[in-house]
Amino acid sequence: MRQTLRFTGSLLRAYVRDRSALFFTFFMPFLFMLIFGSLNFGALGRIEVGYVDEAGGPDAERIVGALQQVSALRLVRVDDRAALDRRLQRSELDMGLVLPAGFLIAPGSPATLELYADQAAPQESGVGRSIVMEVVGRASLAASGSPPAIIVSERRVSGVRLRYVDFLVPGILGLNVMQLNIFSVAFALVIQRQRGVIRRIFATPLSPTRFLAAHSLLRLALSAAQVGILLALAFLLFEVRVVGSLADLLVVAIAGAVAFLMQGFAIAGWARTENQVPPVANLITLPQFFLSGVLFPKETAPDVIEPITGYLPLTLFNDALREISAQGASLWDVRAQLLGLVLWGLAGFVVAVRLLKLREE
Amino acid sequence: MVSVRDLRKSYGSILAVRGISFDVAEGEIFGLLGPNGAGKTTTVEILEGLRRADGGTAHVAGIDVGADPAGVKHRIGAQLQSSAFPLHLTAAEVIELFATCYDRTVDARAVLATVDLADRADQWNEKLSGGQRQRLSIATALVNDPKVLFLDEPTTGLDPQARRNLWDLVRRIRERGTTVFLTTHYMDEAEVLCDRVAIMDAGRILELDTPRALIGALLSRGFSKPVIQQQADLEDVFLDRTGHELREG
Repeated sequence: MRQTLRFTGSLLRAYVRDRSALFFTFFMPFLFMLIFGSLNFGALGRIEVGYVDEAGGPDAERIVGALQQVSALRLVRVDDRAALDRRLQRSELDMGLVLPAGFLIAPGSPATLELYADQAAPQESGVGRSIVMEVVGRASLAASGSPPAIIVSERRVSGVRLRYVDFLVPGILGLNVMQLNIFSVAFALVIQRQRGVIRRIFATPLSPTRFLAAHSLLRLALSAAQVGILLALAFLLFEVRVVGSLADLLVVAIAGAVAFLMQGFAIAGWARTENQVPPVANLITLPQFFLSGVLFPKETAPDVIEPITGYLPLTLFNDALREISAQGASLWDVRAQLLGLVLWGLAGFVVAVRLLKLREE
Repeated sequence: MVSVRDLRKSYGSILAVRGISFDVAEGEIFGLLGPNGAGKTTTVEILEGLRRADGGTAHVAGIDVGADPAGVKHRIGAQLQSSAFPLHLTAAEVIELFATCYDRTVDARAVLATVDLADRADQWNEKLSGGQRQRLSIATALVNDPKVLFLDEPTTGLDPQARRNLWDLVRRIRERGTTVFLTTHYMDEAEVLCDRVAIMDAGRILELDTPRALIGALLSRGFSKPVIQQQADLEDVFLDRTGHELREG
């Protein structure tokens, strides 16, 4: 262990003097966060209205249909009240709408609608509320020929104040831990093998296991530093606070780093020259960048690919980071994602062991 | 110090080493000579524990290389052909890195002083000249006080001054009591440096003796080199054009 740590120290010394490596590890992610954090995409979205249809009749369908015509709204069907409550509390929805059993638009029988507003998004829920009232009122007028007789019972739900940067920062952490671990280890090993560095080192008694352990330790330490620095900057620049525990976040970051590190080792095993590294590394990282909800919720991706995206390592990683950072989840809450990351790590390890030959024959 | 018996190694259908045997005595400078592709590097890499032989045995510093390659690596130093060091480390840090590989601590500057690089200790290793880099490479092979030092074509690509400088270094290392095993395809190098040489080609050892004995044997078989008497050489051309006078002032 002492030998491994000393070797890691040498690697770290060389790493911190490599300006381009430092730029990509620490400065790029910072720029990325600065740019996308300032753009504040969240403000441009439509008002998200979740609805529970307990009535199931033609009248309820007519109201939902009419609301779907309103371009300022995005209607999301929710299974039951409990789910609606949960999603409002998580600020995934701006407002909620329940069409209770027995909902009917008929002359003389006042229909009851229940509206829930997310207090964390007062503007959105305010606008949404007036649009819903307007649509329901008009439907009632058309159906019965009489002024609407609708009782709107309103209840306020206090959700987490989730801004776009609160969503963005964990995504950027995930993206950069992925990039760091896949690219840096693959490049380092392939270049060192090509230059004959690794061959020379294995003319000494240093064991390959310790050599790889040192390379792994260096990346894990860098990942932890990267997460720490980005979180500090996110707090200073955008007042992004980690709701959950920092230690939990770090555990997830290390689990993700290990999973991606194994993919980096596998690439290093496959690539013969450094020019072969970027294409295959991009093939692994780019689709995840687009599909795993780094900048926007993954729900915005087409539904067809949703079953696949859910199992991508970066999706699992981002979800776990976000649950802890933005929603205050515990490690136990994100156990499914952690398990997924461990499985990806094992799969990568098996491939890496088969492909990685440090000695050139 | 090195004992090889019927060593064999092939790569697919190519027989790189076809059953060679030889011994190297303690304190000797032993040269393995041969053209490119003769099997020199393969032989050396088997002795260094970097490759496994297909057949035969090799003992280095009392250890069976095939049975305990890691044990051999503890007792030898190796300077490999076309190897390099990690970027962004100074010469002294490279020495420390290799000390780590042997799990010991050394005085990096003292090690560098043995190869006349004390004044380059804080320079980036990748910025050193060819001769300096080769000396650094030898220094990394000395951090564990090896019993045998393997040098694979140590002077290839160096200018005449750097080559002579390296020969002096090799002699000094031998005077410390280290056995030196080197490969080369420069005959002048082998002649001035090596106590004994083995000439290898196509995976076999053709001759093995002291340089003087090998030359004597060739002459006694009636060999004579055709001596061409040139009427003028490049120096005469140079002097004819620039004159004989001393240029002063």
